Amino acid sequence: MRAAAFLAILCTVALADPAADRLPVGPGDFVSVLPSGAVEQRIHVERFSLDRRPVTNAQFLAFVVSHPRWQRGQTPALFADTDYLSHWAGPVRLGDNAQADQPVTRVSWFAARAYCEAAGGRLPTWYEWEYAAAADEHRADARTDPTWREKILDWYARPASHPLTVVGQDPANFYGIQDLHGLIWEWVEDFNALIVSGDSRDQGDPDKLKFCGAGALSLKDKDNFAVLMRIAFLSALEARSSARSLGFRCAAGVSP
Amino acid sequence: MNMAALVGTALLAFGLYSTTAASADEAPVRAHDMPGMEDMPAMDAIAGDSLYQLPMMLTSAEGRTFKLAELRGRPLLITMFYSHCTSVCPLLTAQLQHLTRQLAPAERHQVRVLMVSFDTARDTPEVLRAFKAEHHIQGANWLITRAPASDVRALAAALGIQYRELADHSFNHSAVLSVTDREGTVRARTSQLSGSDASFLAAVRAQLAVADAKP
Repeated sequence: MRAAAFLAILCTVALADPAADRLPVGPGDFVSVLPSGAVEQRIHVERFSLDRRPVTNAQFLAFVVSHPRWQRGQTPALFADTDYLSHWAGPVRLGDNAQADQPVTRVSWFAARAYCEAAGGRLPTWYEWEYAAAADEHRADARTDPTWREKILDWYARPASHPLTVVGQDPANFYGIQDLHGLIWEWVEDFNALIVSGDSRDQGDPDKLKFCGAGALSLKDKDNFAVLMRIAFLSALEARSSARSLGFRCAAGVSP
Repeated sequence: MNMAALVGTALLAFGLYSTTAASADEAPVRAHDMPGMEDMPAMDAIAGDSLYQLPMMLTSAEGRTFKLAELRGRPLLITMFYSHCTSVCPLLTAQLQHLTRQLAPAERHQVRVLMVSFDTARDTPEVLRAFKAEHHIQGANWLITRAPASDVRALAAALGIQYRELADHSFNHSAVLSVTDREGTVRARTSQLSGSDASFLAAVRAQLAVADAKP
């Protein structure tokens, strides 16, 4: 019976081939909330594809079954902290606290990266993620719309203890992609490129010593608070960290 | 779809996965390529929190390609930089030199210094050689290296170093100097870029003492 249930999970995963559910985004130019240097520059994003939905517990389970190195308890401490997949019932069992269709969370950057590689892709870069997440249901860039901004901000007001819904409940955005806002935080490939000081108003000389180069700290577009919060969150993480609401999705296409 | 078809699909998916896993197999260790590696002890399993868990290939200024894990066996001073950097990196290099000069000659030869470039586009071995000359870096225990972009990102992540390339090809990056034990586990870090950092120097010495105590 257990074997049958296990097989059923594997089959569900196999049917939802992760690489097949990636949608094209871009190419295009946009202004990122991150500064690009002394002079403001539009960022060019090459055409890439992005997973329609975040990676689920069931998908990640199939991955760790075939890659035992990434099972809880087997993963080297360099790559995952002790909280890694701690809500699963066992190293290869989801249990009651991890529904198959909920996004997988409590995964480290290294683990997310390994999953995407195995699924024929990579993690999206921050610019790719931000570009795709600028869209609402009808527009490629809805960021200046106060109503849309407020809708996104609502998520941050929800208590952290709120259980995660299953993926795909959110209306598809302009590209057909779901759950970019309102469900989880997501790892990006260059999470450790998001250099932000503890106080973004503090841009004095002391930081010149800490960071080499110009424009490290000032974040543009202070109105886009929801996206800034994401940057602040990601920039505070270590690559081995995991968190209750931190998951990921994969991308594919030429790396910028 | 019937059950047999489902199972088949599942197996297919896993076949795909295992192919990917096999391709990630690491190249054999070539200890003899590295100066001072002949005396390396027999290999035990790599510690879980060791940097040597990273399956990373480096290319030195001299054009030699080697696996990061080949550096196992001696304490390692490690930092990341780029040679076109004009503000923090020269200080970082000077601080490393200042630090090693404070060690006794015997200690100095026991420690390896590894600098890995962020600038995968411009820091070719030739440019790294010029960087070495400019900063009077000598000695086989100083390794000024480059690596593939994806590995550079992972190493920075493991070391807690943040970096980002800007539109003008300069890099924002945090300046962090780490020392590992002989097995590659980071034992101390510093961001101090001037003067003597007594506690970091003591940490380096402590790792050298541990290395000495082993056969």
